[in-house]
Amino acid sequence: MKKIAVTICIFILFLILYFLQANFFTWFNIAGVKPNLFILLALTLGLFVGRGYATAMGCIMGLLLDIFIGRTLGVYSIMLGFMGYIGGQLEKKFSKDSKITIILMIGICTFLYEIGIYIINAAVLGIDLEIFAFLKINCIEIFYNIILTIILYPLIKRGGYYIQDIFRGNKILTRYF
Amino acid sequence: MYKKNTTSIIGIIITILILILIVIFSNMKEENKSFLEGTMSKIVMPIQNGLTYLKNKLAGNDSFFENLDSIKQENEELKKKNSELEESLRELEIIKSENEVLKEYMKMTEKYAEYSTVPANVINKDTSNYSYTIVINVGSNNGIQSNMAVISENGLVGYVLSVTDTTAKVQTIIDPASSVSANISTTRDTIVCRGILENTNKIRATYIPTEANLVIGDSIETSGMGGIYPKGIHIGTITEIKNTKNPIDRYALVETAVDFSKLETVLVVTMQNT
Repeated sequence: MKKIAVTICIFILFLILYFLQANFFTWFNIAGVKPNLFILLALTLGLFVGRGYATAMGCIMGLLLDIFIGRTLGVYSIMLGFMGYIGGQLEKKFSKDSKITIILMIGICTFLYEIGIYIINAAVLGIDLEIFAFLKINCIEIFYNIILTIILYPLIKRGGYYIQDIFRGNKILTRYF
Repeated sequence: MYKKNTTSIIGIIITILILILIVIFSNMKEENKSFLEGTMSKIVMPIQNGLTYLKNKLAGNDSFFENLDSIKQENEELKKKNSELEESLRELEIIKSENEVLKEYMKMTEKYAEYSTVPANVINKDTSNYSYTIVINVGSNNGIQSNMAVISENGLVGYVLSVTDTTAKVQTIIDPASSVSANISTTRDTIVCRGILENTNKIRATYIPTEANLVIGDSIETSGMGGIYPKGIHIGTITEIKNTKNPIDRYALVETAVDFSKLETVLVVTMQNT
């Protein structure tokens, strides 16, 4: 029951992030570049809940983004699902208690996510590749995401451990002992 | 350790707040400053009045306070009147903004009288930094179909990508996936305009004929080829010409007539009147 409630809360959070992205960050931006909070959400789910759940949630949230604003159905879905999967994989290798590790993960994942979307879109829609412009925008986006991660880190950690307790319960300890 | 962390967080927050306040105050307009002065005086005045009253009492010259009751009553009446006036002002402002939107629609409809159009509002913008699609509040219920051109008062906006019953997704001309067949208004040479990542106010004019004579300031309009955009809709003006070694590769940057960051109202071209 609690798991269903948390899942509903995550969807509500996703919608809030969507409206922030589509409205608030269109003017609260750095040099015209918006952050990408969906990556942060998918990665957090991967790190705290697990690979399978995060991948599924990432795919569903991505699909909603595809329906809301995407041009090619499935692109956001694949990439957000991939972010959830990466989060789950990274959780096994790195400590999520380290702020620096989380920041680095966000930076790298933002780069991977955007490059994936850009390449898929370029291939499907026949867009001319503008490598320099893409890298410039991507660098600013990574910087913005990192800043937001630093600000939101206490929240991410607290919320993450809360949902981890609900989804994993006492299974976590068996990994360490 | 925990206490230390909390203190440092509070310290950072207070510093940021002070910094924000300093920035706001130093950039504030005169009228806002006077509003602040008014607010501050509202806080200080009761204390100052009390002190003056005490001083007058002690000095024995408190005749001013004899009419205090009538002044209070008058003050209450004036406050009531003021709130009534403020309310009517708010209503007027609402009517004014509605009027402005309607005027904009009227202007657009008159300008594009040769087309049957459906007015719409932009209700959502793209969440990504690499594509520029918008969502408008009309859909198949209003007769909107895919591939219909979307225009605004200033010029071309894009075309309808997909529709639901009540909304439509529009790909703007600044989207990197967009390409529009266009004409240079002076020479009538045909070019292709494509969206670029670098700039959200400019698009790139490519496939410029080698013999074409480009001039900065030339107007660009739709050519009517391709079956989506009707002919003669203003796209923008040439602001920069980039010559390359190979004349086939040369391109120009076109500043779009539409300011996409402020785009709110659009018209969907449903059909061309004959």
